[in-house]
Parts: sequence; structure tokens; C-alpha cells
Amino acid sequence: MRKIIISLILPVSVIVVWAILTTFTGLIPSYFLPSPSEVFESFESLLMNGQLFSDTSLTLMRVVLGLAVSALIGIPLGILMGWSKTFKDLSSLLMGILRPIPPIAWIPFAILWFGVGLESAIFIIFVGSVFPILINTMDGVKRVDKVLLESSYTLGASPSQALRKVVIPASLPSIITGLKVGVGVGLMCTVAAEMIGSNSGLGYLIFTSTSMLDTGSAIVGMLIIGIIGLSADYLFSRVEKEVSW
Amino acid sequence: MINLENVEKRFTHEEEEKTILENISLNVNKGEFLCIVGPSGCGKTTLLRMIAGLDFPTSGQIMESGNEISGPSRERGYVFQQYSLFPWRDVLDNVAFGLEVEGLNKEEIYHKAREYLKMVGLSQYEKSYPRELSGGMKQRVAIARSLVNNPNVLLMDEPFSALDVNTRHKLQEELVRIWGDEQKTVIFVTHNVDEAVFLADRVVVLSRNPGKILKTFNIKLPRIRNRTNPEFMELKKKITNLLDIEI
Repeated sequence: MRKIIISLILPVSVIVVWAILTTFTGLIPSYFLPSPSEVFESFESLLMNGQLFSDTSLTLMRVVLGLAVSALIGIPLGILMGWSKTFKDLSSLLMGILRPIPPIAWIPFAILWFGVGLESAIFIIFVGSVFPILINTMDGVKRVDKVLLESSYTLGASPSQALRKVVIPASLPSIITGLKVGVGVGLMCTVAAEMIGSNSGLGYLIFTSTSMLDTGSAIVGMLIIGIIGLSADYLFSRVEKEVSW
Repeated sequence: MINLENVEKRFTHEEEEKTILENISLNVNKGEFLCIVGPSGCGKTTLLRMIAGLDFPTSGQIMESGNEISGPSRERGYVFQQYSLFPWRDVLDNVAFGLEVEGLNKEEIYHKAREYLKMVGLSQYEKSYPRELSGGMKQRVAIARSLVNNPNVLLMDEPFSALDVNTRHKLQEELVRIWGDEQKTVIFVTHNVDEAVFLADRVVVLSRNPGKILKTFNIKLPRIRNRTNPEFMELKKKITNLLDIEI
């Protein structure tokens, strides 16, 4: 209870200060920053005409698909890089160069390779979320207690059995952490991802309403992304707790 | 059964070559309880790891029943000094690991695993997780987990060193009982002279820098041994004196 109250102090203060600066004193004009009540009005109308629901579910679908592709590629690759020193040496330079490239920089190539539409959006989210998943998985595999591995060998496990029955369960908490970070980065990429070719989604909502000076709707989109991120974080933290022993 | 011939182990550390073990020749007989005693850093763990196939000699040969050891095997069970249970498996599934990788059917796996869990007196803990067990219980499970594979030899690397004296003595007695029942060959490494004299048919004393066999003691005292027996104390004194010169 105490924790909930303390954690609410800052968000509530931000809203209060925001309301004072906009609605009550008018220090900041509404075209600069909409007031909380204007944001709420935008929220209401977006909710009423159903756009909010469809945008949210479409963005969620893209993030989930992008994340699925990242997991499908990042987890096995991470296991391989953590397991085999040769493979790690082989790939670490390439990974090191690709990783710092901002996902947004891939947009032109996404359009060239996948055209405009869903595939491009998924690709951008993939580019953003694959590295945290890969690196956390790799770290988890590398940190597997050597004694556990050697135990499995002296108990008769083959290398592939050791991988399945020791390395993967032992690195599961790190893999979940990777997914958690990946969701966050994936959400950060949604605006970029939906700038190309989409005519829907929260990212699309944000940049179209901004360009039409409908700043209230833009803030609604931003807050929804924040709330999705918070929920995903909570969900993965629960799973993390579940798989740590 | 296990034969070591002129085994030597050298490590290169910062371009300086260091001999860890030198000229180790040793035959371990079937059913024998052998203890290897030595000061810390004498390479006794390295020696045991080489017998397990987790490490390899620089020169010389280690054979099991006439075959050179080329890697770890279910025929050479190993109980580690550190706690080594799989933390995500409950006690029963830990014991079942070896049978599971062997590919037995579920019914047989659990039947056997329960039998060995009973042997170490932990039947009522089969659903517990390693983190819920005391140090002594963890090592008991580790022993059951190795023995369920019915290995030719059980290799033990100071498995009781982290336990308090009472628990350690209790587990030593249990180990002697299990060894008698199962007719296993055991190679047990320790720096604790009392432990070695209590357990072993034969004690091999290693020197330090490099590790060489200093002396071998055969112990014929009946089991379970009485620590206050004059012969027991005399042997302990002899071995301790021998090690004191080394340190």
C-alpha cells in the first residue's frame, strides 16, 4: 500500500503542475502543450469512434509479431554464441557493428526489401528488439555454472542433452530478461515502424495527429504506448520470478 | 580396475610452466575404498578430475578396465565439493537425471530414483527443491544422483568439507554403510586426515609442489571405525606428521 502511494506521488504531481501551467494560468498556450482536460477529450473521442481500440490492437499485433521473429532468431543465435566460442568469435564483430545502428536507419531498406506495410513494420521492430534478446540469451548461456554442466556429463549426458537439459533451463531467467528488454525497445520502434506504409496504429496516430496539430491525440497515443510497456514489464517480471529458483 | 601410469600434469601460467602432479602410478582395485589425502594445492582434485575424464594428463596414462579414459562417463560418478544439484529440478528429478538421459521409461526412472532417495534417507523430500535443503541433504542427494546410474566407480571430491563436524561424521558413516551395501569402488579426495582414516581401505598421501605419492597406508580396522581406538589415533598421527613436514 505504502509503495503504491509513494509511486503515485510523482505522476500526480506532474499532472497537477501540467494543469496549473495550462488550464489554470495559461502560461503555456494550448497549441504548445494541450491541457490535461483537452487530452482527456481527445481520449474520449478516440475511444468513442473506435480508433483507439483498433490502433492499440494493431500496434500490439505488430509488436508481438516483431518480437516473435526476434525471439525465433535471437534466442537460438544467442544460445549458439554463448555455447560455442568459435561461433562467438566468428560473429561478434558483425554483431558489434550492427547493434548500435538505430532501427529508424533501416527504414529505407525495409521499404526496398519488404515494400510498405506490415512486413516493414515487423522488420523495424525486429531490428530493435533482436539484440537485447540475443545478448541476454548469450550472457545467460555463458554464465551457466560449470559444475552443473560437468555434473550432467558425469551423469551420462551427451553435449546435446546437456544443452537441452542444463544450459537452456539454466539460462531461462536471462532469456526472459532479454524478452522484457526487447518488448521495451520494440515499443520504442513503433512510431518509426508505423511511419512507413501503415495507416493505422499508435505510432501512426502519434505522428499524423502531430502533423495536424492535434497534440491531444498525440499525447493519448504516447500514454497508451507507455501503459502497454508498463504492463508488459509487469507481466515479464512475473514470469521472471516464476522461472527463477 | 582404475590404473594410473606415470601420470603427470603440467599447467602453463603466464609463460611459466608449473608441474602440478608428477609420476603418479596407482592401481585401484574393484570394491576398494581409496582416499587421497594431501595439503591444499597438491593437485588432488586435478587427479580426481582426470580419472573422471573432466581433465587430461600431460603425459602418462589413466585406464579404466583396460581402456584409456577419453572423457566423462556415467561409469564414473562424480560428487563435487561445491553443491551441484540442478536448482530448477526437484530432488526426485535431480536423482532421475542420469536415468532420463539414458532413455529409460518414466516408470522405471522414478521407481529407481525413489529407491536411491530412500537409501540416503530423503524419501520425504522428493518434491523439495535444492534451495530448501541443508548442505548435508544436498550432498546426500548428489550421492544418490550418482549411484542411481550404477557406476563402476564413485569419485568424490571433498564432498563433506563444507559441512559442520556432526553432519560430516553422520554422512561419513552413511557413506561407509552405502559402500558396504553397494560394493562400489570409491575414490575419495580429502585434506582431512581423520576423514581418510575413518573411511578408507587405503590412504594415499600426496606431497605438494609438485604432487607426488609420498606414502600409502593400508587400513584393516573393522567398520564402522571407532575414532578413539588407539590404532586409529596412531594412524592419524602418522599421516598428520607426514603432511606437517610438507606444509
